[in-house]
Amino acid sequence: MVEKPFEPKIIGFLCNWCAYGAADLAGVSRLQYPAGLRVIRVMCSATISPHHILKAFQSGADGVLVGG
Amino acid sequence: MDGEAGDFRVKVLTRPRYVDMARCIACGTCAEKCPKKVKDEYNAGLSTRKAAYVRYAQAVPLKYAIDPDNCIYFRKGKCRACEKFCPSQAVDFEQREQTRVIRTGSIILAPGSGVFDPGKLGSYGYGQLPNVVTSLEFERILSATGPFQGHLVRPSDRKTPQSIAWLQCVGSRDPHRAGNAYCSSVCCMYAIKEAVVAKEHAGGDLDTAIFYIDLRTHGKDFERFYETAGEKHGVRFIRNRVETVSPVAGKDDLSVAYVNKEGRRVEEEFHMVVLSVGLETRPETLKLAEHLGIELTEGGFCMTDSFHPVRSSRKGIYVCGSFQGPKDIPQSVIEAGAAASAATEGLVSVRHSRTKRPLQPLEINVRGEAPRIGVFVCHCGTNIGGVINVPQVAAYARTLPGVTYVEENLFTCSQDTQEKMRDVIKHESLNRIVVAACTPRTHEGLFQETLIRAGLNKYLLEMANIRNQDSWVHGNNPEAATEKAKDLVRMAVAKAGLITPLSEPEVAVNPKALVLGGGLAGMVAAKSLSAHGYEVVLVERKGLLGGQARSLFTTWQGEDIRRSLDALIQSVEADPRVEVHLSTEICRVEGFVGNFESVLKSGDREITVGHGIAVIATGAQEYKPDEYLYGNDPRVMTQLELDRRFIDKDPSLSGLRSAAFIQCVGSREPKRPYCSRVCCTHTMSAALHLKELNPDMNIYVLYRDIRTYGERESLYRKARGKGVSFIRYTWGGNPQVLAQEDGLEVRVFDPILDRPLSFGVDLLVLATAVVPYRDEGPAKLFKVPVNENGFLVEAHAKLAPSEFATDGLFLCGMAHYPKPVDESIAQALAAVSRGLTLLSKDRIRISGVTSRVIPERCSGCLGCVQVCPYGAIAPHQETGAAVVNEALCKGCGACAAACPSEAIVLMGFDHREIYAQIHAAFAG
Repeated sequence: MVEKPFEPKIIGFLCNWCAYGAADLAGVSRLQYPAGLRVIRVMCSATISPHHILKAFQSGADGVLVGG
Repeated sequence: MDGEAGDFRVKVLTRPRYVDMARCIACGTCAEKCPKKVKDEYNAGLSTRKAAYVRYAQAVPLKYAIDPDNCIYFRKGKCRACEKFCPSQAVDFEQREQTRVIRTGSIILAPGSGVFDPGKLGSYGYGQLPNVVTSLEFERILSATGPFQGHLVRPSDRKTPQSIAWLQCVGSRDPHRAGNAYCSSVCCMYAIKEAVVAKEHAGGDLDTAIFYIDLRTHGKDFERFYETAGEKHGVRFIRNRVETVSPVAGKDDLSVAYVNKEGRRVEEEFHMVVLSVGLETRPETLKLAEHLGIELTEGGFCMTDSFHPVRSSRKGIYVCGSFQGPKDIPQSVIEAGAAASAATEGLVSVRHSRTKRPLQPLEINVRGEAPRIGVFVCHCGTNIGGVINVPQVAAYARTLPGVTYVEENLFTCSQDTQEKMRDVIKHESLNRIVVAACTPRTHEGLFQETLIRAGLNKYLLEMANIRNQDSWVHGNNPEAATEKAKDLVRMAVAKAGLITPLSEPEVAVNPKALVLGGGLAGMVAAKSLSAHGYEVVLVERKGLLGGQARSLFTTWQGEDIRRSLDALIQSVEADPRVEVHLSTEICRVEGFVGNFESVLKSGDREITVGHGIAVIATGAQEYKPDEYLYGNDPRVMTQLELDRRFIDKDPSLSGLRSAAFIQCVGSREPKRPYCSRVCCTHTMSAALHLKELNPDMNIYVLYRDIRTYGERESLYRKARGKGVSFIRYTWGGNPQVLAQEDGLEVRVFDPILDRPLSFGVDLLVLATAVVPYRDEGPAKLFKVPVNENGFLVEAHAKLAPSEFATDGLFLCGMAHYPKPVDESIAQALAAVSRGLTLLSKDRIRISGVTSRVIPERCSGCLGCVQVCPYGAIAPHQETGAAVVNEALCKGCGACAAACPSEAIVLMGFDHREIYAQIHAAFAG
């Protein structure tokens, strides 16, 4: 059996005003990146508490990206 | 154009774009399929675009156009590939030029400027030597959307340069070769920025050198940037005007000849040379000006006077931006606001007469209802559908809990789909909507509008971004993209099941303004607010109006300040809508945007005034030095003290045989590391006034950099022409002043003669710094920030220079930064224009995305109060629990994260919703 390569699933908490817009612009520019990122839009990265990050890991995230 | 102020008729020509804006979805297929490549003017010709194109990726509105000069169909009658492949039938070759007539009361000119073409000066090799580029071309090279994707490479061989030289004043301060005598105002700062950014791109090894005459970093916080560029980033600054650039034989490198510090001519090789080209009014703008019959300055900019800085010579026509004179972004934005305010003062009687208001149906109450979620999955032509298996995603959505309706659309955003969506919401009794399509940043508003029209609260919408953040970035992996789309829809549905309608509280606006500061800026703001029909309370801590302008003699354009100031004071005092409070200070402020209540104190008397907005124009003052014998010798005085003598027509001035000015006294030094902006120009005016009184007077100006920016440069040229001597000194090598019986002795080291100089003068004028009032009363009361130099901090240095981050509060004048009369007035008008956006409404809506405290969970630790950047949270007087003032809350959610017991929720983004999204991300 061929072992599947490890493809991390990452939760991204992205600020609506900057990082989320940047992720949109990456799309407009057709930049390609691995499909493992799941973005949750927030109004400010300051709204992300350690609880959210821990919850993401608990739920099975391999990584957490806070962009703001 | 014909007509007159109050009733112009303007004929406007619209060129066809051959793309129907209503249909274009900005997918880029037309550009992809278009076979015709042309030079991309946005990237300064360094790369190519297609004949079907969008000028730049961030264009607003993001709609494509077809350039008929290059389109093969227009040139040869065949092709129409764009039309064939456009998924939304947006291409329309039948579009024609359209003219229409607009009737308007005022006109604002904002045509901007072009840049100087350095090809006119053969000696720089521009156009022949590929590695000689203009600053604008270099700007594109550095940009991620530029011709080299943001990699710093030079055009000739696409290699990373190891050394770059910037040559300043190309096409500026050069009346003979370039024909432009003025300073372009912006080039010093952008050259420093480019050098620093280039170093950041290239790493530490890049050598950058800026060749300049005077370094002009006179903007707010610019001086510090200049210092950091030299000290931290190692940008070399070489004071020398370079006239020629020559090729290096056998290489693509360039040789720059200059005179070094020791006075020897040296040649240095660089891999690239950037020409810092100046601003210049475009020929078509000159033609427009002629057509409109407005007067221009010597430099070809729109003529204005210092007391009406955005008013052209023709009544009813206003101006802003670099057509008014060369200037940077903050000043352009300030003038834009000023022009908006000035141009509408005369149109108050017809305000809102052409405004149309949409009708809104009553909102359906969905509280307590089980979620009935409707999911709309968009193909976006082939943008999503070409990558993601949309039918599969839609089928999957049907299996999700709470989903009662699912539909696929070719374009969910199209007008007909919106109408259909409205009907579906009603027929299916949907109470939550998920749109899986593009990004909420561009389309949330549109879909919210449809919800409102269907009677749903607009916050009952959630979007799954399956285009920008999925199909577009995973085009090479359709399977993974489809899986991701399912995840994103599942996450959106999970959140949608929890969202609740949010209310947007409405608050009434008290149509009255408080203006703090009765100086020039404050008075202009008060007069303009009154002209717009609003009542004003003008508060001045001193016993009389006028502020610093009382001590000023003339503007740089030679206008008598006192006369205009007196007229302004009289009109303020006579204005029935302006209530003036002299010798009064503000001692307490409560409330928020639209509803402030302030307590004014005058002696023992306290009065309370209500106001919807406040303009802070508390000004600044002249630094009283303790150096250069100031205060010990009557022959030493400040600029304002000299102005006072001019105003009083002091007869002793014409008897003086000699005078010296020392610049930067108290400015650009460790204690005050900023440039005071006004002093160089002030000294030029004063030196010329002295020369008028006595043409034989010997005048010396001891300076570090002469910063007569823009067309103020003409004064510097005039002063040199009249024989004023300019002697440069450096920080650390400051001049010395000794009192002698027959005069003052000034000693200074002259770097050009390379020896110490000593000369006697009858009068010494100190060009001292502009310093803010250190009492931070108003700033503290209104909770607005103050920078380390004591100036107030605006909401955004470039884009919001006349308002604070706190709603309803505005600023202008020297409390913001040192500035001359014309710029203070422009900013006062700009503050008014920003304020009018609130005052002109009876009520304002506050966003529903605000924080809310669940009091029974709150322990009263007040951690949230500490982290709130807007001062929106305070403890309840009795219970001690935190209470959020919705009108002050900006919805950042910092409090929600800081709260140890999750007692605070950010409405629309609460913990349960975020946890549901996290959980759903892995529930596939």
